[in-house]
Amino acid sequence: MCQWCLKHGAGKKWYMNAKNYQADQISSEEDMVNYLEEQWMNFETVFIRKIMGFSSKNLGYKMQMPLIGKVLRWKAENMIHSEKDGRNPQRADGHFGQVIPLEDGKAILSELAAEPILCNYCMCRWMQRGEKEAVCLNFGALSGVLEKMPRFMPKERTNPIDREEAIEILEQNNKKGYIGSVWFQPVPYINAICSCESPECGGLTLRNNFDLKAVYKAEYIIDLDQDKCQGCKQCVAMCQFSAIRYIPSMDRVIIDYDKCFGCGVCRHACNNDALKLIPREEYPGFDGEY
Amino acid sequence: MGKTTINIDYSICGESGKIDPRECTKCLKVCDPAVFIMHETIGMEDKQEDPYDPQDWRITPIWGSLCNRCFKCVDACPEHAINVKW
Ligand code: SF4
Ligand code: SF4
Ligand code: SF4
Ligand code: SF4
Ligand code: SF4
Repeated sequence: MCQWCLKHGAGKKWYMNAKNYQADQISSEEDMVNYLEEQWMNFETVFIRKIMGFSSKNLGYKMQMPLIGKVLRWKAENMIHSEKDGRNPQRADGHFGQVIPLEDGKAILSELAAEPILCNYCMCRWMQRGEKEAVCLNFGALSGVLEKMPRFMPKERTNPIDREEAIEILEQNNKKGYIGSVWFQPVPYINAICSCESPECGGLTLRNNFDLKAVYKAEYIIDLDQDKCQGCKQCVAMCQFSAIRYIPSMDRVIIDYDKCFGCGVCRHACNNDALKLIPREEYPGFDGEY
Repeated sequence: MGKTTINIDYSICGESGKIDPRECTKCLKVCDPAVFIMHETIGMEDKQEDPYDPQDWRITPIWGSLCNRCFKCVDACPEHAINVKW
């Protein structure tokens, strides 16, 4: 379990704690709605806004600057994980997530997620690629907010969906190779399950390129049964983190465990039962590596 | 690799140009590392008829350090509004 489980999990994983899905148990429902409305009205500008006089424009170069780079990183991490009063919704303070496998996503959708549940356009694919793909599942107070914003609402699906439908959508996306993820916004309120793509996903961009913990690795890691692997290479194309590579001389794949986020989507491609997820803590070298 | 500078001419594409980037999106799509971000133009908020549905947009080359200098955006832009240099 990660630091957020210890803090907000009540003995379980943070996203398995029912309380974190109830806006009114965390702050007033009104405050929550105001925060989310301000955040989502301005979401595409989140990286353009300034932190200490710096926007995220050319963040890579800024982080290379001596001293300033260090201060910026510290400030950005604090912003992402902020639990302070007066968090700035325009900068999405306190908004971060974790990769989850399909099984955990289903468990969340089948009972924990607060209704109404909406399926809306992915904001990241829109702002990074101009593509509108309805893959995001939002719950509770966030649904009421998104409903008002035409750019996130697919015309053919403006009404809330039921739990079974939400599970089916998540499953389809996961099988396509999209990475399941669950989000605090703002911590500890949970109101979204996403099906992400890299490099489109803003959170994964921050994590993969600038090592900012906007997305944590899953509570799991992949385990390859070398004897079962037939070297068909089907799993290689599924992994968005380049964690799997085919080795011709041995006619099997190898895993770069450091790169594995534990999303589990590679499993959908394997017909030989060679890939399974195990709890991260069972893998001695990667226990605690989120 | 030294620093890459990517510029978009907003007098051509953006809130005051003849192109609405939401109608084109070519640069967003051709760039493999996804350097560009499309967003409502900051400072135009008060001018929107419906604050939930902003109509003034522009594109910012946000992740400049990820640019691999392929020039695909420069070639793809129908209005020659993008400039990449180092
Ligand atoms: S976090 Fe993932 S699914 Fe959600 S908006 Fe971003 S890329 Fe889309
Ligand atoms: S190897 Fe890890 S990161 Fe890659 S698809 Fe499998 S579980 Fe996901
Ligand atoms: S899909 Fe399964 S059998 Fe095929 S290469 Fe991957 S692990 Fe091996
Ligand atoms: S030159 Fe290539 S990598 Fe750089 S911004 Fe343009 S399309 Fe992207
Ligand atoms: S390709 Fe050129 S015209 Fe099209 S959106 Fe990009 S900058 Fe604007």
